[in-house]
Formats: sequence, C-alpha cells, structure tokens
Amino acid sequence: MGEMLEWLQFVLAPQVINGASIGVAVVLMALGLTIIFGLLDVINMAHGEFYAIGAYAAVALLGVGLPFWWALGLTPLLMAVVGYATERTLIQRVFHSKERHTLTLLLTFGLAIIMEDALKIVFGANPLRLEAPISGASEVFGLFFPNYRLFVMALGSGVIAAVWLVVFRTRLGAMVRAAAYDRHMAASLGVPVAVVYAGTFAFGVALAGLAGVLLAPIYSVFPTMGRDFVLIAFSVVIIGGLGSIKGAVIAGLLLTQVQSISSLYISPVWSDPLLFAIMVLVLMWRPQGLFGRLGHA
Amino acid sequence: MNAMPDSMAAARLDAILSVSDLSVRFGALMAVNGVSFDARRGEITSVIGPNGAGKSTLFNLVSGAIRPSAGRVVFDGQELTGSPPHQMLGAGLARSFQITNLFFELSVRENLRLAAQFLEQGRGLLRPVASSRVAQQRVDELIERFRLERKQDELAGFLSHGEQRRLEIAVALAARPRMLLLDEPTQGMSHADTQETGEMIRSLAADSLSILLVEHDVDLVMSLSDHVVVMHQGQKLAEGSPQQVRSNPAVQSAYFGDAAHA
Amino acid sequence: MREMTVEPMVLSPSVTGRLLRHPIRSLAWLFFGLALLFAVVAGIQGDVFFFRLATESLIFGGLALSVDLLLGRTGLLPLGQALFFGFGAYVSALVLKQGLPSFWLAMAVVLVSTTLVGLVAGMIAIRAKGVYFALISFGLAQVVSKVVFNTRELGASDGIIGVPVPQISFGFFTVDAASPGGFFLLVLCFSAALYAVLAYLMETPFGRQLAAVRANEHRVPFLGFDPWRYKLAAFVLAANVAGLSGAFYPMLRGFVSPELMFFQVSGNAVINVIVGGTGTLIGAFYGSAVLTVLRSVVGSFTAHHQIVIGVVFMVSVIFFPKGLIGHGVAALTRWQSRKEGA
Repeated sequence: MGEMLEWLQFVLAPQVINGASIGVAVVLMALGLTIIFGLLDVINMAHGEFYAIGAYAAVALLGVGLPFWWALGLTPLLMAVVGYATERTLIQRVFHSKERHTLTLLLTFGLAIIMEDALKIVFGANPLRLEAPISGASEVFGLFFPNYRLFVMALGSGVIAAVWLVVFRTRLGAMVRAAAYDRHMAASLGVPVAVVYAGTFAFGVALAGLAGVLLAPIYSVFPTMGRDFVLIAFSVVIIGGLGSIKGAVIAGLLLTQVQSISSLYISPVWSDPLLFAIMVLVLMWRPQGLFGRLGHA
Repeated sequence: MNAMPDSMAAARLDAILSVSDLSVRFGALMAVNGVSFDARRGEITSVIGPNGAGKSTLFNLVSGAIRPSAGRVVFDGQELTGSPPHQMLGAGLARSFQITNLFFELSVRENLRLAAQFLEQGRGLLRPVASSRVAQQRVDELIERFRLERKQDELAGFLSHGEQRRLEIAVALAARPRMLLLDEPTQGMSHADTQETGEMIRSLAADSLSILLVEHDVDLVMSLSDHVVVMHQGQKLAEGSPQQVRSNPAVQSAYFGDAAHA
Repeated sequence: MREMTVEPMVLSPSVTGRLLRHPIRSLAWLFFGLALLFAVVAGIQGDVFFFRLATESLIFGGLALSVDLLLGRTGLLPLGQALFFGFGAYVSALVLKQGLPSFWLAMAVVLVSTTLVGLVAGMIAIRAKGVYFALISFGLAQVVSKVVFNTRELGASDGIIGVPVPQISFGFFTVDAASPGGFFLLVLCFSAALYAVLAYLMETPFGRQLAAVRANEHRVPFLGFDPWRYKLAAFVLAANVAGLSGAFYPMLRGFVSPELMFFQVSGNAVINVIVGGTGTLIGAFYGSAVLTVLRSVVGSFTAHHQIVIGVVFMVSVIFFPKGLIGHGVAALTRWQSRKEGA
C-alpha cells in the first residue's frame, strides 16, 4: 500500500503535472487552430510557425532587456497584428475561389516555409534556451512542483476559460458564432463579417504565439519547433472535432496526459506516433471527431 | 405455399419496385415514416406532396444515398435495402438529381461517356477511351435523342439550365437502367421546356422503362402518371390513379391546408 | 468586397478536345528534347556536376509526378508523398548494399514492397476526404520519418552510407551508374517511360474515372462505380511512382538518409507540381527542373534558398495558378488561333 502511494506521489503525479502544463499550451494552440477552421474554414498550415515566432519574439524582447512579463503580454498582441495582416492580404485573395480549401492550405503552407527560413536567417539555426522567469518549486500535497509549470497551468487555464466565456457568453462571441454558422445571414444582420474574419484569424494566431512564449522556457527554441508541435495540435483538433472548442480543450488535456503517462512505459520516440495512431483511429471510426463544429459547439 | 388471391399475386409480380415500411430518422425527426408502396413495371409512378413531405428523402433512401433506419426496398426481386449507391446501377436502378449534379468541368460528351462506361462491364478499363465502342455508340445515341449535338464538346457547366436538366436525365439513362428515378426533372424550367420534358418522359415510358417521378408540377404529374403516391410530413397520405388522388379530400386539405397557412 | 475569382488550377482532360491536347504533348516532347540536348552538350564538355544535378532533378521530378497524379488527376492533396520516396530509396539501398548490387533486383523489390506499403497506407488514408487526407498523409510521413530517424538498424540520423554503385545490364549493353552521362540518360528514359505510361492511362476509362472523382465525387457512385476503389488504385500507383523514383537516389548519391522522408521533400514536390502546372503531368518535371536550377543558383549565394522557393510558390498560387504549362498552353492556344485567323 505504501509502495502504491509512493508510486502515485513520485512517479505518476509529476508526469500528470508535466502533462497538464504542456497540455494547457497544446490546448491554446489547438483552440487557435480550431477557431480559425471553425469560422474561416481555413486549415492554417502556418500555425506552427506562428507558435515559433511567438517563442522567438519572446527571445527578442528579452534580448532587449524587457522582463519576461512584458514579453508575455506583448507577444500575443504583436502576433495578433501579424495574423490580421496575413488574413487581409493573403487569405482573402483566395477566399472566394471554388478551390478555397486547397488554396488556403497551400498558401499557409507556403507561408510556413517562408517564415521558418526567415527565423533561421534572423536567429540562426541553433537552439536557444530561455530562462524560466519563476524558479524554484512549491509543495502541493506533499509533492514538489516547479513553480513555472504551475504558473503556466494557471495562466493557461485562465486564458482558456476567458476564451470560453467570450465565445459563448458575450455579444462578440455570438457574432463570431453567427458568422461561422451562416456568413451571409450574419452579414445581412449587420455583423461586420470581414473584420470578424480577420479578427478571428488574428486571435487564433495570438493564441499560438502565447503558447510559444509559455513553452519557450520549457522546451528550447529552434526554427523547426513549429513543425513538430503543429502535428500534435492538428491531432488534438481532429480528435476533438474540427471547429469545436469543447473538443479542443478536452482532447488537448486528455491526449497530453496519455503522452505523458505513456512515456513512463514506452520510449519517447513512440509518443508522437502513438498520438498520431489515435488520430487515425478516430478519423476512421468517427471522422467528425468527438464533438461538433463551432457553430453548434 | 401461401394462398394469395390471384390479383394480388399478379400485382406483386408486376411490381418492379417494392417499398415496405421505409423509415429514416434525422435526430429527433422522422423524415420518412413507414412508407410503403409498389411501382409497377413499365409504368410511370409519381410521388407528390407539399414542401417538406419527405419526397427527396424517399428518393435518397431508394437510391442508396442514405441508409434507412427501418423498412425494405426490393427492386426486381432483389433486396436493395441499405445497399451503397454504386451497387444500384448494377441492379438496374438509376437516378437523376433535383439540384443538377453533373461533372461541370467536363464536356457534355465526357459526362455521357462516363455514364455509358458502365455498359462496358469493366472491359477496356486500361485501353484508350476511343476503343470502348459500346460506350461511344451509346453516347452518340443519347446526344441525338436529347438534341445535344451542337453542345456536345461544350463544358457541362456552360449549358443553359434547360439543357443541363436534359443532360441530367440523359446521364441517368445512359447505362440502360430498367428503372429511372427522376428527381424533379423540370426544376426551374420554363413552361415550354417543361412540356418538352413531359413528352420525353412519356416516350421513355413507351420504351417500357419504369419510371419513379418526384415532381412539384402537379398538372404535369397528373397528365403523365399511371399511379400517384401522395406524401405528407414523411408519411404516405394516399395512393391511386391520378383521378382517385385528385378527388381525395385528405390530399386536397394537405395542399390547400398548406396554402391557407402560408 | 471585390469578388476575386481565382482561375481553376487544373486543366481538365477533355477540355475542348483537340486544341489543348496537342500543346501539352508538344511541351512534353520539348522537355525531353531539351534534356537530350543538354546531355549532348554536357557530355561533350565532360561535365559531372550538372549531370548529377540534372539527374537529381529528374528523380525528384518523378516524385512530383506522383503528387500530380493524386492532386491534379484524382483531387487528393498528398502532403506526405516523401514517405514512399524515402521508402523506395531505403529499400533500394538495403538491397544494393546487403543483398546483391543488382539494379533489376532492387527495382523489383521496391516495386513489390511499395505496392504493399501503398495499399496499407492507402486504406488508412483514402477513407478521409479533402483536408483530412492531406493531414493524414502529412502525419504518416512525419511519424514514419521520425521512427526511421531513431532506428539504429537503419543508420539512425546518418542513414545508410556506402551503397555500392550498380552496373545496369540490358543484355547487349551496360550502363554504369557511376557514369554521370550514362546514368542521366538512363533516368531520363525511365522518366519518359513513367510520363508516357501515366499520360496514356489518363486517356483510358480508368484515368477518366479519376478525373470524374475529382470533378464530382458525389455523383460517381450513381454511375455505378465505387470511387474508393479508384482512389486507392491511384494512391498505390502514385506510391509506386514515388518509390521507384526514390530507388534511383542511392544509385546517384551512394547514400540515403531520413531527410528523404521529411516534410521538406513532400512540400517541395507539391511546389514543383503547382509551379509546373497541376494536372498536366509534364508540369511536374518542368517544375522540378526550374526549381532545382533556382535552388542551385540562389544556393550559391546563400543557404536560405527555401525562402525564395516559398515566395515563388506563393506568387504562383495567387497569380499563376495554372502553372508554367497551364499558362504556356494558354499562350500557345492564343498564338495558334491568331495564326488561324480566328
């Protein structure tokens, strides 16, 4: 009995906490992706790169001497501007084409290539390490957890809750959901659809950037970090249901736990394949994912 | 052997399509609820009903586009319930679509050739298209019959609406089905085109093709059909000859009732 | 808001019959003619570098061809075709190094194994439509490439090196894979054969069915055909094209590495197709050639050629969606009708 408790305390619990702190960031990424898809019907292949840019932006801001908290606050704002501009200049160009799905996928894919190489040019290809702004550990229920991870979980949960509130309990959120459900109807009801579109894309990108800043002190920062991370985000979004906020949250938290706990038993090399295998199974058995679309979520 | 009255047995034998207790539910809604009827060989059977009666859903059920929650579809003695659409043509059942569903970026000829390719039964799959004689001949036949000579190399998307509706029927007919399901063939057509389509349907039936027709144009239906089935809110309301149906008070109230509340 | 109609990306196979089919064929002849001309010139100069570069361009052109078969003809966007390319390369390397250094054996083994792998992958991926297919193929390639990267038996991140260079015997003459010119001509013949076979297939009922699936998959079952079967066949065929192309890689470079399965390779293949002209088949080779040259030229100034490629790609998608061949054909058609006084 004592052994079991010890195992729970010193083996399982740390994994769960680790998984939860990563999970929160994954959920932020997935939320951005799923909102962008739910509203604009756009698969943002560059989402991983926006995440990477967020991390690098933090590095840059810290490099000019700003404290971490400033970077944390500024980066999402910067990313939102980038996202807004991207949507207006690029996405809108092909939005009205019959082949919109393929074209936006390709465009964002091209953008991803450019952004990744741009990061390499500006920052170099070597991984950078970022100091965690909060050091030390706290004792919770007799266990020690790194303070920074606790902070990430707290902030992340707060943001997720705020997103939920805005989307489902405010007028702004209602406008977004209306535009997702029926664009023309929303427009004729006075919803400024163009602004809503660009703003939503900006918001999704800002979430990715925030995830990037939050995870930068945990993982190192390197130009291809986006591409590795985006597969996890896509898997979560698909399993949760493309366009479903509830799905992104639940799938994100659940799957990072699966990854985290499974790493106790299998080599870390297999944790991404495991996630991917789950995604494929879900796609085969229930292609719309666990939950519905944004319009009905 | 069960004893069955001769007339019933004869009617059963004559039925090319038998729908029994067919139902499908979408969430809480019973879009089609326990519908049963027979369509007889060589006849034009029409399904009419006010908007939302479930006619198109019924079509989708019979043609395999959606799976029923309950009931059976038997075609020419073959159990077709829940079969996927690509097996329908093999059984001899073809359909046209209410919303024109052609290959718009392909030419008229190519649309017809794709449909006629079925006649080749998988022969010549890997040989040049021109060598599929049977299919090519059928295409020529159809082009002549449906008066599409001038437009045969035109992209289907560039045809006029009436021409597209004609092509829609021609495509359904290409593989020589024994029964044709026509889903609102005169949808959006001018009066002249509608009359023409009616003539064409009549001539098709004269070739001993069985036809199941869903139509909004009640006059057309009454003039063409041998047998009429009336649907209302997912259920069969009445059935019989055009005369019988026209004078049925329940049918009248279903149509007029809608108009009164419109 | 200004409604912008972006032109369709794909040239349908039976668009206004006669006029269009010949320009594409002429452009295909042109490509192989220019390639032969190049071979003569480079051969006279005793060149090695450009022969190898051109051979590589053809090999990756074959990969792009497999992408065009799926994207331009069947309407499926594959973002992980490098999986089969790399697989073919690895199998070929293993056969040559640890089996017999026999070209024909390697090709045969690649053909069989790629068909099997393609079937399995296809059955998983084909069920998904549109965007989901792209993501599954992306994910499959990511996962497998990571596994290969971490597998010591396959050389892990270093890959397999020291692959022996085979002699390719055709009975009465032999081509030495080490000979730059000779090997280039061999790969050129192979590419031409690939193109010819696929171009022929597209004009058969099988190929036309694929075009129908692309044009309106929903209607296809009602014509009596199961689109799933055709998509799977196309997928396996594409896997083979990619795998066989990949099989040439170790013969050219003497090694294989996990990079061959990475997303960059899949992505570049898609870019090659779109820049060259989706749906034209020959556009894959043109795109690969143009972008290889571009990469080489830019690469001599800076290591950051991907950004240039990315920009070229996006410009192509937005402003020249029909690609080189597509716009080339349009120009040719205009010139032709002007000549005829139309």
